Formats: sequence, C-alpha cells, structure tokens
Amino acid sequence: MPTQETQQLDDVIASSRRRLLAMGGVALGSVVFSKFASAQSATLTDADYLNFALNLEYLEANFYTLAASGQTIDQMGISLTGTGTQGTVTVKSGGPTACQVPFANTLVQSYATEIAMEERNHVTFLRGALGSAAVAQPAIDLVNSFNGLATLLAGLNLSSFDPFASDINFLLGSYIFEDVGVTAYTGAAPELTSSTNLDAAAGIQGVEAYHAGLVRTVIFGLDQAATTLGPPGTASAVATAISKLRATVDGSNSISSTRAQGDDIGLGTQSVALNGTSDFTASTLVNATTTGSINAAGSTGTAGSLVFARTAAQVLAIVYAGGTGMGGFFPAGLNGNVK
Amino acid sequence: MTLKIPETIDGSLNRRGFLLGSSVVTVGFLAGCGGSSSSTTSTTPTSPSLTDTDYLNFALNLEYLEAEFYLRAATGTGLGAADTGNSTSKTTGGAQVAGVTTLQSDYINEIAQNELDHVRFLRAALASSAVAAPAIDLTNSFNALAMAAGLGSTFDPFTSYANFLIGAFIFEDVGVTAYHGAAKLLTNKTNLTAAAEIHAVEAYHAASIRSQIVLAGSALIATANAVEGVRSTLGGGNETTLSATGIVAANATTSIGFERTTDQVLHIVYGTGNGAGVKGGTFFPSGLNGNISVTNS
Repeated sequence: MPTQETQQLDDVIASSRRRLLAMGGVALGSVVFSKFASAQSATLTDADYLNFALNLEYLEANFYTLAASGQTIDQMGISLTGTGTQGTVTVKSGGPTACQVPFANTLVQSYATEIAMEERNHVTFLRGALGSAAVAQPAIDLVNSFNGLATLLAGLNLSSFDPFASDINFLLGSYIFEDVGVTAYTGAAPELTSSTNLDAAAGIQGVEAYHAGLVRTVIFGLDQAATTLGPPGTASAVATAISKLRATVDGSNSISSTRAQGDDIGLGTQSVALNGTSDFTASTLVNATTTGSINAAGSTGTAGSLVFARTAAQVLAIVYAGGTGMGGFFPAGLNGNVK
Repeated sequence: MTLKIPETIDGSLNRRGFLLGSSVVTVGFLAGCGGSSSSTTSTTPTSPSLTDTDYLNFALNLEYLEAEFYLRAATGTGLGAADTGNSTSKTTGGAQVAGVTTLQSDYINEIAQNELDHVRFLRAALASSAVAAPAIDLTNSFNALAMAAGLGSTFDPFTSYANFLIGAFIFEDVGVTAYHGAAKLLTNKTNLTAAAEIHAVEAYHAASIRSQIVLAGSALIATANAVEGVRSTLGGGNETTLSATGIVAANATTSIGFERTTDQVLHIVYGTGNGAGVKGGTFFPSGLNGNISVTNS
C-alpha cells in the first residue's frame, strides 16, 4: 500500500510538473526563489512579514466568510483600505450570496462559521497591529483560482472545482489554505525581531494549526464513507493530490530524494515504528515529518514529527499557483514588500 | 463511556487530596471547578536567567508524559530505556486502549508516533544536557483530576476510546500553550523554529481531539468541559469552552492562541493551585527534572 501510494504520488508530481511547465511556469521553483532572494537582500522588517501575513488572512477570511455567510469581509464591516492597490474579490457568477455553501452537515457548517470568525479576527488584529502601515486588501480570486488548481491535480481529471458547492468541497477548499498558513507562520516566526510580534505570530500559527487539524480530521472521517465526491477514499485522494501539488510548486519535493513528499503530507495512512515494532498503521492527520532515521530508538535524525516551515517565496509560489509575482488566488499579486 | 456520576462526599475528600503538595491553595480553585473558561492575565514570568536548554528540558518533561500516555494507549508499553535515560521505567499505569476500531487505532498510533518523535528530537537536540524521564503517574493522576472536575472518584482513560479522548484532551491544549509561552523566551533561532514546529503539531492534535469529542456528542463534551474547568482554574484561564463552534482554543477577540507561563503549566501538571514552591504532584509525583520544576508563583 505505501509503495503503491508512493508510486502514484510520484506520477502525480511528475505529471503536475509537466502541466505546470506546459502552462508557462518554466522552472518556476528556481525563478521564484531567485526573484525573492534579491528582494530579500533589501532587509525585510517585521511590518513586511506581518503585511505578508495580512494578505493571506484577507484571502482566508473572505473564503470562509463567503462559505459560511455568503458575504465578503467588507460586508461584515471590515475595512479593506491601506497601502498598495486595493482590489475586489472575484466570486461566483451569482455574487457573494451564491458562495454560501448549502451545508448538509450542521457540524461542518458550525466549523465554517467558527473559522470564518477567527480569520476575520486575524485580519482585524493584524490591521490594528500594523496601523497606518497595513496593506490594503489585494485583488482576490476565489473562482478561477480553484478551477486552475483543479486542472493541475494530475490523475484526477478535474476541469473545475467549486469549493462552495458542498460540505466536502468546502472542506477541501479549506485544506488548500490551512496547512499553508501553518507553514507560512512557522517560516516567518524566526524572522521577526520583536518579541511581541513573535508572540502574536506564534499564537496565530497555533490557530491555523488547529484549523488544519480540524479540517484534516473531518475530511478523513467523512471520507470513511461515500461523499458527494465519490466512494470512500475519494476526498482523501484529492487532498493528497493537493499536498503533492503544493510540494511540487514550492520546489520542496526535489530537495531530498529520500523525501519525495517534500514538505507536504497528504491524507491517508502510514506505517510507523512504535516500541521497536515497525508495522503499526497510523493516520496522517498531522501534516508533519513522521518518517526518517529518528524513528529508530536512541537515534538522531531530521524527522521528529515537526510541521514544515516554508519561506515566503515558497508560500507565494503556492498562492500564485506557480505564477511569478501574481496569479492563482492573487491575480494582481500581494500588496506590500513581500510579493 | 465509563465515567462515574459525581460522588459528593468522596469527591470533597479527594479534592483535598488532589491539592496535596501545594503550599498554597487558592480559593479560586475550589470555587472554580465547574468550568470557568475565560482568559486571564499571565502570572509573573519565571526567572530570566533560564537558558534555552532549560526551556527545552521543560518541554522534554512534558513530551515524556505525552509519549508515555500515547504509547501505552497504542501498544500497552511505554518508552524504552534508550528513550528515557533510565535503566528501568519510572512510569506507572497505562494500558492499551480496549475495543477500538481500526480508524481509532490509526489515530492513537499517529499521535503516539508524533510524541515519541518529539522525545527523540529533543533528546537529540539537548544531547548530554537532556534530562532523564521523571517519575510519571498515569493512574492516580487521572483519578485525582476526575475528582477535582466532579466526575467521580476514578477515571481510567485507557478503558475506552471515549475515555482516551478525554485523557488526550487534558494534555494537548496544555502542550500548545506551553510551547507558545516558551517561544519568545528562546534566544537561539534554531531552537525557536523547532519549538514553533512542535507547537503546531500539538495544535493539530488538540484540534483533532477536540473535534472528535464534539462529534461524540453532548455527554462527552460536558465531560471535557468539566476537565477544562479544572485546567482553567489551575492554569490561569487560557481556555475556550469546547463546542461545535469552539473547536479552537484562542482569545475570543483576536483569535490568537493562548499561551501559558511555565508556572501555569506546572500548576496544571502538578494538579495544584496558584502559589510558589510547588514541587510536584499528580502526573509528576516527584516533580519535573531540570531547572524548571518548582513554581515561582
């Protein structure tokens, strides 16, 4: 099973990469990295990192608020103004109300409502912390972005994806964001110079991890039976393809030949060693390193069940869906100095 | 569910027992067992002379506790000598959880692997500075906690999956707040990154456990919130009442996750109220190993 899965994942990765290349994202990993490397040489400040985070929170807050309430965050009273170019949110053709998910499961609806509120609070908190330095909400696309990503999920033959169509679609849309939020805050934490900012970033990172843990647990649980997407296992396969795509787009899967999954673990099962016995089956609800030499008693290694950290460049590559400087969820790019 | 109905007389007696080892018993503890969940201000931070090594060893103690709990729940056997620094185990209690489904077993095994990895990671990072595993009690601790929560005279988290979820619930949110509180105190960026990476894993766990409890229904939610009330009282608030719209434990206004000082964490794992000089109790009957083991406030 693991071997089969690994092979399948390899195929997905290779295929995704080909398709990305076909789309014109030539050597996107290195391009993005080198582009950002030059930007980074002009020392980034805490405000730059917080604004980077604010852009991501605008994205998340709008996604969840539309899903839960059929409204964009400005309709909920959140100001969008600030430095940079203010943009609008591209929503389904019926407008914001058409984005409210027709929830069949009241628990999933509750989760959407909770996460929406928390992401709006993050926007408000960061805007308050940044004051006049806060960036405006950039242009956000919640339609073409998902459709484009769907076509990149090799092996699934998806031509489009509507995250607002059903419970499970909404959860998979959430899956796209939450693990990325975790890795973004984890990567930014050591770059912050102010203890206060670090403290806040760690606190938001933890909340994003709560969200990710929730979303992954619920998807995996629902996927034990048939969902509107298909028979048991279908939703997990989509989630795993999303993970593989993220690891491909951010270049991490090519960093180490011994970790083909790169910095992103999909939903499924793994074989783990506990107390010297190596044949225990375990879930992968946590998106973290769980394989490696450290699994032998008394040994050292690089695994350690730690979540992954992504550089800003890697996060940008994902939210731009492989584009350079813009694309995907941010058709005009982010506002601020990290973009 | 094998939780017992509260036994008033035994409960009040044993509630006092839960406080043994504390030099100071706060009124708030006894009054607050019902389930206050608001956040409060932090207590005075621990001595500033502590080093990264001290904080990592503090974390290692907590990881020993979690690893022993989950490994025993998963396999019936705890950490081996190579992972504790002790020739024989100093942990008592714990057993493989009975009657679990394959899916539930997969969940337990995953967290067991994660916490085992955390022990190994921290021991490797600390190398010769790593503390050995202290004495850990997985029997009397849960009984005392149950009594403090008004849940009966005994509680065994290893007898069913529902009980296991409550046992896990006790630890995970605390782990999150402990790592969050420690992050800004670490001076070395590598250590900070590692702490942040473990912090998030604990939050994944906490969310998974909290969402599974919510899925199990109102009875188990009520049990969890009774436990949370005790944690809140001992640990300076920093709790969000568990509900279908309260999966995440975070500040209600900013939605920033909670953090706790080392003192607040010690008070929880020692099962004692506020006050300086608490040296051990409940999960760690002989206290933690390392320089962070006695409360300052």
